[in-house]
Amino acid sequence: MYGVGLVKGMGVTIKHFVNTYVDDLRWFGRRYYNPEAFAVRQSPQAQGIFTVQYPEEKLIMPEEFRYIPFLIYDELEDGTRQDRCTSCGICAKVCPPQCIWIVRSDDPETGRPIPEPSEFFIDIDICMNCGLCSEYCPFEAIRMDHDYEISTYDRFSENIYNKEKLDKPASFYAAVRPLNYAIDEAAIAEKVAKKAAKEAARKQRQAEKDRKTDE
Amino acid sequence: MSEELSNNDNPVPEGLQGQIAITSLDKIYNWSRRSSIWPMMFGLACCAIEMIATAASRYDLARFGMEVLRASPRQADLMIVSGTVTKKMIPIIVRLYNQMPEPKYVLAMGACASGGGPFKEGYNVVSGVDKFVPVDVYIPGCPPTPQALLHGLIKMQEKIDGQSVLEVPWYRSEPIDEIPQPLLGPDLIDPRDIPDFAEKLKAQEERLAAERE
Repeated sequence: MYGVGLVKGMGVTIKHFVNTYVDDLRWFGRRYYNPEAFAVRQSPQAQGIFTVQYPEEKLIMPEEFRYIPFLIYDELEDGTRQDRCTSCGICAKVCPPQCIWIVRSDDPETGRPIPEPSEFFIDIDICMNCGLCSEYCPFEAIRMDHDYEISTYDRFSENIYNKEKLDKPASFYAAVRPLNYAIDEAAIAEKVAKKAAKEAARKQRQAEKDRKTDE
Repeated sequence: MSEELSNNDNPVPEGLQGQIAITSLDKIYNWSRRSSIWPMMFGLACCAIEMIATAASRYDLARFGMEVLRASPRQADLMIVSGTVTKKMIPIIVRLYNQMPEPKYVLAMGACASGGGPFKEGYNVVSGVDKFVPVDVYIPGCPPTPQALLHGLIKMQEKIDGQSVLEVPWYRSEPIDEIPQPLLGPDLIDPRDIPDFAEKLKAQEERLAAERE
């Protein structure tokens, strides 16, 4: 018999259509723009249409979602910014599309390089969101952002991010990726502890050496 | 709708409120223009998959009046360049752009279309479609998620909202020049110049000639 498949398909559509209104009654008209209802609507228990009403409703991104990288700075107690980036250039080397450009800085008095970038550019029209820069960064300084609402009207004036635009505080990182932030903090604490232990051992050796020479 | 359209400079008289709307030509023009942007239905690479997802029921372009993805450039207002533009494809893209009737808009979706992306130095890839056609909105991302594309489309609507009938290029008396179609340059190598290949080609031709006899 002809048309059975067609009727079945239309049946599915009509079921969704009717279910939408049934579901709306169940939520007392608060089916939309309501975080609770939105979570149910995006779950397997969804009834009726499940459209994400962007921009009023936005999907909650999983933590490992990645878009454009950002640089992390620590806020010191005296209020100054301490960049974690040391301008080592590993991220620029591993970047597959080569979209990172770092300008290293020199000490104005001695003229010797200091571990701090004076400028940091990422061309986000080249960036392929792979996250290799953040994987390879040995100083936990570059991490991937969640913000995807970054479309612009002009490419050259707005889409080449400089250090000012990339710099975000560590608290921002903690808010965006809490689990990763905890892992990073543990790694930093371990590094600091190792350094302290090394320093203590060196001092002890030095003291022993001094004592021997005294004798 | 009437609130959206009404012009604050000319308030509606007391007795007529809710029955008429006083608006400017720009406002009603932009409102109708941005509420029915019909994109052209073509995809170039992986970004097209995200574009398809955006058009499907979960994100639903129909909420913005864009559900009619036209298969013909003659009926389209918006060209979503979704993906890597190869040197072989750019003449076709430019031709499609020329065939679109004004007003027409271009949206570069993803890193490849905006700046070449990972293939920016590739021998066969155009590093940024804006070298050939004027782009209105750039969406970074590789690929942009459906929500990022929707954000770009909303930006496009905002841009259209800011236009004025007196200033847009398509209502001037002088004709708008077509964009000249880019031609593929000469091949970087001709396989017939490579000795090994030339020998094989010659052998094949001889064999074919022998078979024919």
